[in-house]
Amino acid sequence: MAQGLEIRRSSASLWGEKTGMRHLPVVSKYIDTTTCIGCKACEVACQEWNDLKVVPTQQTGTYQTLPSLNADFWNLIKFNEREAKDGGFLWLMRKDQCMHCEDPGCLAACPAPGAIVQYENGIVDVDPTRCIGCGYCLSGCPFDIPRFDAGTAKMAKCTLCVDRVQVGLGPACVKACPTGCLQFGTKDDMVAMGQARVDQLKANGLTEATLYDPPGVGGTNVVTVLAHGDHPEWYGLPNDPHVPWGVKLWKQALRPLGMLAIFGSVLAAFGHYMTRGPAPTGEDDESGHA
Amino acid sequence: MATPELVLEEGRLPEDTVVGDVIVRHRLSTRVIHWSVALCFFVSMFSGAPIWTPVFGWMASLLGGLSVCRVIHPWAGSLFFVGSVLMFFRWREDMRIAPGDREWFGAKSDAAVGRYNGGQKLFFYAAALGAVGLLVSGIVLWLPTRFPQLARWGGILLHDFTFILFAIAIVFHIYLAALAEPRTLRAMTRGTVTKGWARLHHPRWYREVVDRQPARD
Repeated sequence: MAQGLEIRRSSASLWGEKTGMRHLPVVSKYIDTTTCIGCKACEVACQEWNDLKVVPTQQTGTYQTLPSLNADFWNLIKFNEREAKDGGFLWLMRKDQCMHCEDPGCLAACPAPGAIVQYENGIVDVDPTRCIGCGYCLSGCPFDIPRFDAGTAKMAKCTLCVDRVQVGLGPACVKACPTGCLQFGTKDDMVAMGQARVDQLKANGLTEATLYDPPGVGGTNVVTVLAHGDHPEWYGLPNDPHVPWGVKLWKQALRPLGMLAIFGSVLAAFGHYMTRGPAPTGEDDESGHA
Repeated sequence: MATPELVLEEGRLPEDTVVGDVIVRHRLSTRVIHWSVALCFFVSMFSGAPIWTPVFGWMASLLGGLSVCRVIHPWAGSLFFVGSVLMFFRWREDMRIAPGDREWFGAKSDAAVGRYNGGQKLFFYAAALGAVGLLVSGIVLWLPTRFPQLARWGGILLHDFTFILFAIAIVFHIYLAALAEPRTLRAMTRGTVTKGWARLHHPRWYREVVDRQPARD
């Protein structure tokens, strides 16, 4: 499945960002947390394929490599421990990474034209040459994904291996996964696979199992099977993620109204000058009425 | 008429000095502070507006691109704040609210106006408050990784809102000074205004000035 780089949406573009030459199916990554064994092969594959710098691990009393994502670490297995309702012990592992939202908050917040793009195939990518390092994407992301390189101040995150996807390969993490808990394909196929797995889990007694594909951000192109779908927060996922109201209020209300008000004030001043003209100067010889 | 020597000298005289048919309204240091703040404002605007919206993206090219804007905007903004603080203390005495300031807004005449009218005082306090608002919200935007999500949203909205009001106020500030009220702009360039202008726009100030000292000519 070869994928091109047709652009669907681009940051800070008011018009004409969609290339629209070819229609490409939306692709997705499938993550099944119930068959993840926490081996971290995906972490290594991600580091290797993307040539990321070595980030020293931090021991925080869990198996987790780092406390959270890093500009040089885009794929992190999060280990969470919970007490189940029946008193049993839950050891929950989830692959944390960019969710590739259909309605990306980072893209909405980004002020640099073309720095964040959403391809026709649904992948949300960053162009570091256009990123200005302002950090607005942080305020737009409901999943706390964007990270900034301390030296270059450029935003970095999972690209869903778009460079592999466009030549027909799957993401590096999927390639490395030994249990098959990671899969890659069209969104429709991945959702169908997820639903089938959820039904299987429910039949096995995990009645709260769900496929995490939150509608608040238009769905995500990383779909996650959760055994305890009634508690996504146990896995470090927000319950009902949205493009934040602060970002919407800013871009969709305050900015157009502000532009209108500023241009309006220039017009008002011009109109005043045309209708009333300049005030008298107070100088007898010029104004005639001091 | 002032002698040629005095005309050359009047650019550096203290405020309220009468030289022939002009009065010194702003001494040199005041004008330097004002234009420094104006420069910082425009550098801040030209580096901030293209980050605000791509409609003003052309402003970024004048400064060398959007990445340059992101680097210089916080520093130009900080200097703007420092200049605003200097301006605030320079003018605070003259901007004390006096009886009649409130009436000025509805009144048809400037009869009771002293050195500054009600509108100028309102602009002064609004600009001071705006400078604080821009600084506080600007620090959050400058260092986004140091602040929680709620502070980032609040910072962005406050910075935008304050800037919009500031931009509108500056449009009228420039219009009034440069176009609507002829002979006003020279108060901030040469530093002097004509007696006729002072008598018309700031009659109480004019009275005080001419009563206090004999003309120097």
